Amino acid sequence: MASADKPINTDVPEKDVFALHFLQSLSNLRRQNTFNSPEKTNDRVKKIKKAAYVSMARAAGGTSRLWSRALLRRAAKETNKVVRFSRRKKRVTWLRRRSNRRDPVEEEEKEAERLRNLVPGGGAMETSKLIEETAYYIKCLSMQVKVMQCLVDGLSPK
Amino acid sequence: MDLSGGFGARSGGGVPFREVTALESLHLGGGDEFRRMVPPENAGGFTALLELPPTQAVELLHSSSSSSPSQPTLHSLGTLAFPSNSVLMERAARFSVIATEQHNQNGNVSGETTTTSSVPSNERIKTEPAETETCDQAAVEEQNNRCGGKRKDFDKKVKSSTKKKNKSSEESEKLPYVHVRARRGQATDSHSLAERARREKINARMKLLQELVPGCDKIQGTALVLDEIINHVQSLQRQVEMLSMRLASVNPRIDFNLDTILASENGSLMDGNFNGTAMQLAWPHQVMETEQSYHHRQLQQPPPQQWPFDGLNQPVWGREEDQDLGNDHNSLMVGAANLHPNQVKMEL
Repeated sequence: MASADKPINTDVPEKDVFALHFLQSLSNLRRQNTFNSPEKTNDRVKKIKKAAYVSMARAAGGTSRLWSRALLRRAAKETNKVVRFSRRKKRVTWLRRRSNRRDPVEEEEKEAERLRNLVPGGGAMETSKLIEETAYYIKCLSMQVKVMQCLVDGLSPK
Repeated sequence: MDLSGGFGARSGGGVPFREVTALESLHLGGGDEFRRMVPPENAGGFTALLELPPTQAVELLHSSSSSSPSQPTLHSLGTLAFPSNSVLMERAARFSVIATEQHNQNGNVSGETTTTSSVPSNERIKTEPAETETCDQAAVEEQNNRCGGKRKDFDKKVKSSTKKKNKSSEESEKLPYVHVRARRGQATDSHSLAERARREKINARMKLLQELVPGCDKIQGTALVLDEIINHVQSLQRQVEMLSMRLASVNPRIDFNLDTILASENGSLMDGNFNGTAMQLAWPHQVMETEQSYHHRQLQQPPPQQWPFDGLNQPVWGREEDQDLGNDHNSLMVGAANLHPNQVKMEL
């Protein structure tokens, strides 16, 4: 079993970083001409949602986290962009193969499967790494929710 | 396994030189060692074994095969140069080092160490019980360099279980595997050790998660905690979706305001103009509060070309939070409003 127990770092950037990224993406969205037409609300919703996730991934540290990388890759695939990530050692996939073969029988691995479906990029992680990424993901998600809540509260009519 | 069978046949051939005795002793433990070295999940049999210490196994096999050339099983290995006696002894000693690392309780250890006593790797065996980290690293690094990186499961150092150590000593950055001390009264099988180490890691991280998710402290048992966590993640994602829908509905008004801001931005930045547009922004109750703060902030704004985001951010948030202590929303919004037009200016 590889790797010692380095202290797990789950510090997330401050709220303003998230706010910044999200507002940037929103302003970029608004520049698009098709955005402001009032009929296609569903498209707008989807775009805003995607912008939210992408900005969250960027704010949370770009490509230094597995789930953020997976998110960015997913988003880039839709827009046919090419995304470059710095190469890392490929130890992760080997570990994943090992645990996958052995563990689906266990009770815990079924739960882990559900978690994997939720967290982006979860299919490529071993269970311990998955839990670490989930913790970070939860923190970032809650931060993003706070930012969006503030925006909506500020902009909605009273 | 073929290997043990082959060894047995050859050693029974009665070829009279010293290597055979070494091989024999190796075989006594060797069959077991090799059997245990192959993990049950990777049971590819002979070839899996050969993967592990490729050069050594092949050399050994071939060295004994050259003595009795009538063994058909080894022809496929090809003809290798027959190693000199000393080299062979060294290699045999290394095998015994592997063996000592894995099974310290077996009588094999003593048997093998005695036969290979004449070999220069003696010091390695002697320092084994001393358990100094550097020596472990040296011995283990050797093997690692030789045998490739696939020995994660096998290279656990198991010290005798009578040592009541509760910590597991782990080599962190240099080697890709873990040296674990077995606790008292627990099985020292390498697989259960790996399992236990893994469990501990997972449990440690679960504790982290439990602190994060509200209401998870009370729950006992990992399955329920995981359920809670999954629910939490799902609720957060749903919240994001809801908020994005609300934002989309609010959006047209943002556009309007932004357009006006943009128009004013084109002219000049530090004006009453900006203040005027700030008034036009559809933020109901906050505008009254924050009018003064807008003023203040504009007076203190650095020229836009040199505007460092980070530099401005901190004072903005800080001041706002001093003013509106209980009102996070306001602070965020005011700061955001300030950010946004300047941002746009930069993009222009």
